Amino acid sequence: MKSVLLTALSFALILLLVNIGFYKEWFQDKPLRYWQDFLKEKDDTANIQAIRAERYGFNYTMCMRIKEVLEKKKAGHAIILFEPNSYYRDSLHMTIHVPEPAVFYYYTGLEGVWINSPDAVKANFLVRISGKGVRLDAIKTPGQRQQILDFYKKYPPIL
Amino acid sequence: MPLLAFLLLLIAQILSGYGILTLLGLRLRTSYALTLSILLGIALSSFLPFLLQLCWITLTGPTIFGSLAVAALLLNIPAFLRIRREGLPAVVRSFRPGPFRFRVYEVPFFLVMAFFLFISIWRCYYLPPLSRDALSGPEAIAEFAVREHTMINSFFRVDLWSTNNPYKSPYLVSLQMIYKLAGFPFGQIWLSVVVVCFTVFLYQAVKEKVHPVLAGLLVLLLTMAPELYAYTFMILYDYSNMVFFFLSLYFLFGWFREERPTGDALFFAERIPGTYYCSVLLMGIATYIRSETLVLALFFLPLIGWRVRGKYSAGKISRYLVLFVAPSLLAYYLTVPLYLGHYIPIHYKVAGEVNAHLSNLGPLFQRYRDIVTRLFTGVFAVHLWGYILYVFAALFLAELILLRRLSKEACNWLYAIAALYIGVGFLGWLLPLMNLNETTKRSLFKLLPLIVLYLANNGWLIRLSGWISHWEQAKQPISTTDKNTPKPALARANPSARTTSSSGANSKKKKRK
Repeated sequence: MKSVLLTALSFALILLLVNIGFYKEWFQDKPLRYWQDFLKEKDDTANIQAIRAERYGFNYTMCMRIKEVLEKKKAGHAIILFEPNSYYRDSLHMTIHVPEPAVFYYYTGLEGVWINSPDAVKANFLVRISGKGVRLDAIKTPGQRQQILDFYKKYPPIL
Repeated sequence: MPLLAFLLLLIAQILSGYGILTLLGLRLRTSYALTLSILLGIALSSFLPFLLQLCWITLTGPTIFGSLAVAALLLNIPAFLRIRREGLPAVVRSFRPGPFRFRVYEVPFFLVMAFFLFISIWRCYYLPPLSRDALSGPEAIAEFAVREHTMINSFFRVDLWSTNNPYKSPYLVSLQMIYKLAGFPFGQIWLSVVVVCFTVFLYQAVKEKVHPVLAGLLVLLLTMAPELYAYTFMILYDYSNMVFFFLSLYFLFGWFREERPTGDALFFAERIPGTYYCSVLLMGIATYIRSETLVLALFFLPLIGWRVRGKYSAGKISRYLVLFVAPSLLAYYLTVPLYLGHYIPIHYKVAGEVNAHLSNLGPLFQRYRDIVTRLFTGVFAVHLWGYILYVFAALFLAELILLRRLSKEACNWLYAIAALYIGVGFLGWLLPLMNLNETTKRSLFKLLPLIVLYLANNGWLIRLSGWISHWEQAKQPISTTDKNTPKPALARANPSARTTSSSGANSKKKKRK
């Protein structure tokens, strides 16, 4: 009988804990939501790439699209220049954060550079993001590259 | 296939961990021995690919898994010799675990803990690593190490201006490599093993001090610390660092309780207790995972000196102190000056990160203030840790003001909490890269199990625990051979040694008897 009472006490304490103050909000927002996710994910037939795309979102999809395009173009050793994140923030007023070179390399195995990277002067592609979408432009001449670097110089690289 | 590889890995880790425990001369109860063996096995697994890399050996499936198997075999040579001496049946009999006993009122806590752990395990298994700290450092190094068979791979040719994450311990890289090679595309599942083993160990440790209902509640409070829970499925260094740091202190304080040294391990031709060896080894592992733990280890030297004063000569005490920091120093040397400073292509100099204005103590006190006002109190603190800090503060003050007496055990854990607060603040001042909201916050994970163990030794909870136990057993004659009475954590070779459950509910029961 005492064990039953103590078992009831255990249940009561657990229920109290998950329903008290911030714990209630957190429990519903995190563990319970994760449980709902699990119920969906367990029957999911998505492959590794699809799971990554779902998890990493826009950045990953964009990076993989860049990779696809470059593979189609048979671009050889591509060095991809990204616009500074401060450019999106200050000039376009968009909340976009392009990946840093390390993460871009992790996603794609391709060399990405920021305007302050040592290899920025060797960049042969530029990723432009605007309200209309994402474009991958080839940089054809050293003069064009210098013009691009000069344009973005006033926007400091930030994460 | 990954499941089979996982099980084989687990067996290798249990064997190598058990081998280490045997070498240390530690004899523990099954639940402790098993969880600690796995944790030590994982620590060893994280070290072997790093060691192979240091020797310029190609990192492939056969070399890595081969080294794990060889380590498991070598560490169990004493067991093989014992089998040869006593015969297999006698040895197997000695390993037979006792029956798994629990009370029915523990089941609700088991269920809710299982729920939390299951979700965590699933997310480790199913979802790729997400944190930027992992993606721009260890995870990326591991991914390319698997493809290129070396930790010094093409990732280091990328512009790393925006990140310092590649310049960290190889702990994460090694484990990610092992589990990716074992067939888990995202690695990570090692973290679930660490989490489960730690939770089981902690629950057992707390249950030795207080009634199982209170033990379940305390461990649940820790599990439901939102920030800590997130890091049970987000690979980084801090959760593992917390586990090994806590275990080191657990065994250190266990050693304090021993009246005289026991065990078989030798150091400078002197008998050193296995518990002490275990503690220093675990602190070394914690330092291997996060190098700044070395500084925190130094904060415990005064406590060790104080606790053993009068027991040993000054020379012997100094040898104990040297031994305590020796593995941590070695771990620090291997990971920071050797690996990061000289081995990787981009040499990382920690000296460049040290605060250049050490004479200005203002930021130090500001850091201590910020930790209290921003990370310990207020809305943000509740979002990070739930209410565990408030429970701790209330019960600590109640004990201090109303009972006015703290047990030695409680004092040890309070010292650890204070040392961690002072140490983490000091590190934040010494290394300005350790910002408050990220690095310092994660360093404070280590505080939570210390708080739980303090609460398990809190005078009011001990009283409450005794009251529940008394009520529970009121009409039942208390047998002197009560099988359900929790046994001490450290079942030592020397029966005269005091046990870990010398205080708390269990000792109260004994006194009544």
